Amino acid sequence: MIYREAGTFRTTYRADQAVFPIPQDKAFVLGLVAVAYLVVPFVMTDYFFLAILIPFLILALATLGLNLLVGYCGQISLGAGGFMAVGAYSAYKLVSIVPETNLVVAWLFGGVCAAGVGILFGIPSLRIKGFYLAVATLASQFFLDWMFIRITWWTNYSPSGSATAPPLDIFGWVVDRPVEKYLLALTFAVVFAVIAKNLVRGRLGRSWMATRDMDIAAEIIGIRPMGAKLSAFAISSFVCGVAGALWAFVYLGTWEPLAFDINRSFSILFMVIIGGLGSILGSFLGAAFITLLPIFLNQVPAALGLPLSTAMVSHLEFMIFGALIIFFLIVEPHGLARLWAIGKEKLRMWPFPH
Amino acid sequence: MQNGKVIGGPLLVADSISLAFGGVKALSNISLEIREHEILAIIGPNGAGKTSMLNVINGFYHPQEGTITFKGETRRRMRPHHAAEQGIARTFQNVALFKGMSTLDNIMTGRLLKMKRSLWWQPIWWGPAEREEIEHREFVERIIDFLEIQAIRKTPVGRLPYGLQKRVELGRALAMEPDLLLLDEPMAGMNVEEKEDMCRFILDVNDEFGTTIALIEHDMGVVMDISDRVVVLDYGRKIGDGPPDEVRRDPEVIKAYLGEAH
Amino acid sequence: MGPFLEVLIGGLLTGVLYSLVALGFVLIFKASGVFNFAQGAMVLFAALSLVRFLEVMPLWAALLGSAALMVALAVVIERVVLRPLVNQEPIILFMSTLGITFFIDGFGQSLFGSDVYPLDVGIPKDPIFIAENTFEGGLLVDQVDLWAAVVAGLLVLVLALFFQRTRIGRALRAVADDHQAAQSVGIPLNQIWVIVWSVAGLVALVAGIMWGTKLGVQFSIALVALKALPVLILGGLTSVPGAIVGGLLIGAGEKLAEVYFGPIIGGGIENWFAYMLALAILLFRPQGLFGERIIERV
Repeated sequence: MIYREAGTFRTTYRADQAVFPIPQDKAFVLGLVAVAYLVVPFVMTDYFFLAILIPFLILALATLGLNLLVGYCGQISLGAGGFMAVGAYSAYKLVSIVPETNLVVAWLFGGVCAAGVGILFGIPSLRIKGFYLAVATLASQFFLDWMFIRITWWTNYSPSGSATAPPLDIFGWVVDRPVEKYLLALTFAVVFAVIAKNLVRGRLGRSWMATRDMDIAAEIIGIRPMGAKLSAFAISSFVCGVAGALWAFVYLGTWEPLAFDINRSFSILFMVIIGGLGSILGSFLGAAFITLLPIFLNQVPAALGLPLSTAMVSHLEFMIFGALIIFFLIVEPHGLARLWAIGKEKLRMWPFPH
Repeated sequence: MQNGKVIGGPLLVADSISLAFGGVKALSNISLEIREHEILAIIGPNGAGKTSMLNVINGFYHPQEGTITFKGETRRRMRPHHAAEQGIARTFQNVALFKGMSTLDNIMTGRLLKMKRSLWWQPIWWGPAEREEIEHREFVERIIDFLEIQAIRKTPVGRLPYGLQKRVELGRALAMEPDLLLLDEPMAGMNVEEKEDMCRFILDVNDEFGTTIALIEHDMGVVMDISDRVVVLDYGRKIGDGPPDEVRRDPEVIKAYLGEAH
Repeated sequence: MGPFLEVLIGGLLTGVLYSLVALGFVLIFKASGVFNFAQGAMVLFAALSLVRFLEVMPLWAALLGSAALMVALAVVIERVVLRPLVNQEPIILFMSTLGITFFIDGFGQSLFGSDVYPLDVGIPKDPIFIAENTFEGGLLVDQVDLWAAVVAGLLVLVLALFFQRTRIGRALRAVADDHQAAQSVGIPLNQIWVIVWSVAGLVALVAGIMWGTKLGVQFSIALVALKALPVLILGGLTSVPGAIVGGLLIGAGEKLAEVYFGPIIGGGIENWFAYMLALAILLFRPQGLFGERIIERV
């Protein structure tokens, strides 16, 4: 009875096209963000920040990026990990060459480089579609993997092939405690979520969705396929690149090219599918789900007295991911986000469903 | 001629168009013109090349021979989005809507070409981006009122019945404010009442905005009622061109299209 | 000349192994329009089951057992995945095969273990010298690769006969041409899918035997099988000869590139060369070398 649409009349187009036309939704999301900023930092342990919240937020950012491309523009990509790597290594090289660079600038620079690479590998999308494109993006993934391993310039010729980020100093704020890293990741995630939402509800988002739903019709109403697809590749890769830089600098600290291999690409794609294709909220839900599942598999059976071997946990993870992908594709292609919306729909009727 | 409207000079001239797929000739040596403010009907039996002709006009197919001149500008090869930029809009035989989007969003996509100002404001939305969105929303709402589809504004188009989908598709084309509107069987699969509505919309568009319309239609009653001129195609050739009454009496047209008298 | 030929032949023979995996893809794509990303996982699954069955039973029984398992897998996939997703867009089906890939990888390894198992079905493994009279010292080739070439040849022959001469084969070709038309003349689509996925499963078993003999049965087989993707792109998704020629081109191309071009830019380029080659081809011939040209209509 509290969650109501009736009674809120939208009298201007401005109000009607707001992100949350229903006041309770707005209150809920704003409340969630407020809790994330004002409550979570004081109640969570370092383990929670390091093992769950920080990776969740950064991967959610990457998922958001990939969702713009796959979910909104309909261009499938198996190369998100590669674009994250470009972001991480470009940012790393920039701070190695110009140590005075502000880290935020370096990360955004990483994003710009990733966008450039994204456009380059997006060019085939102008001629090929669907699984052909998927194979083309695999090409980028394998090539980038190889490049960051074999061309040692990227890692400043480090003998181990790994790279280490400098201490995190942002405008004089030294980010070294887990809670600070968490706040940093949170800020990036929130800012990018807002930007992504604004993009997809406006003209750019509509041209992406039109291209996704029917590319021929989109072209006939005047959408340039090249503009729509390449802008999706660029912006998606930009966000993935920034996420990759954060993953390297903030979460890993020291990393190897393996951190961005094809398994990373797959897991990001799965977050998109499970969370919901074409949903900003879904990107966060999917990332949360896939971050939490291994932890759940590790802890819960052990707590029940049935500890699983590490190998078994990883096999189970594979199986559950695989089964869930199929489940969501069959039952609800819009993923967890859609389940959430259905829940709200029910709540709207509650307690008088008839 | 209805309501004393004035039909102007040629808006689009197709000159000796030939189009073949592999060895199959779809169009051979067709010349036709579409005049300003008129409603031109293109008729002919199935496989006569009507849809191919529309596809050539809006740049989807590239004819091997011949030229298209639109608003005095001659072109040989172009992409469909160029045609859209020049002011050609169309609908499809099998509805080509964006299934994942609502009615409103579908029609809003028709405004994309006109939304140019606020690209760099998109990420933050407030200010120019929002103002531009509202401006175009107001235009789109007028189309929604005109087509009487207010109630399905927020419904995903995939869930709408066929007749309404065709109406939404017309709305999307209208949102482009085209100079030339191509309609590929706008009334196929509709019942009488829906057809009447659609006829009314087409006549109103032509009347109120002066939009030039070229349409393909099989229902001869409709064609005779609403069109100013009729072009008849058969096996990729043009066999008739003139006012409805004249075409209806043309012996060759009767033979090819309406069937020989038995 | 000798070393060059040696590299070339080695590459061509590895290419045959790629073709074996690619064949399975082509079969499924032709008959159901599904781009089956899981073919590599099926190869691993088949090889794993065979190697574990061999521990407890003779070869013929193990082969039968693995074959039965692949057929069972096809039935399950049809029931659980394909049937509910019928008439979905190709891209959704493609993503569902990603799900199948992960499921089979996880399931196979939790069932059969995830160590490296040597596989011995009686194929000699020692490298031998051939053409010793023509070249000084002869050319060194892997016997497994030679066997693979023979097996691949036989397999193509059998498949060709199966498609051309049997009733089921004709039905399969009908379905490949047009789903709805085939259904309307009374060809049961679901059965056809089961058959096709079963055949693809058996092809996977053959590929698994060859790869397993060469590398040992281990997880990396599933990754090697990904090389079949550029082979497909090169050869065209619907063409059996394309899969063979594509495999040979990719195999030879990547070996030659690795040996003659790799050292200049740091080596290890085998991992991506095939993909880049396929990508370059895609830009100029989107339908591949042997694929059918796609005409778009509205």
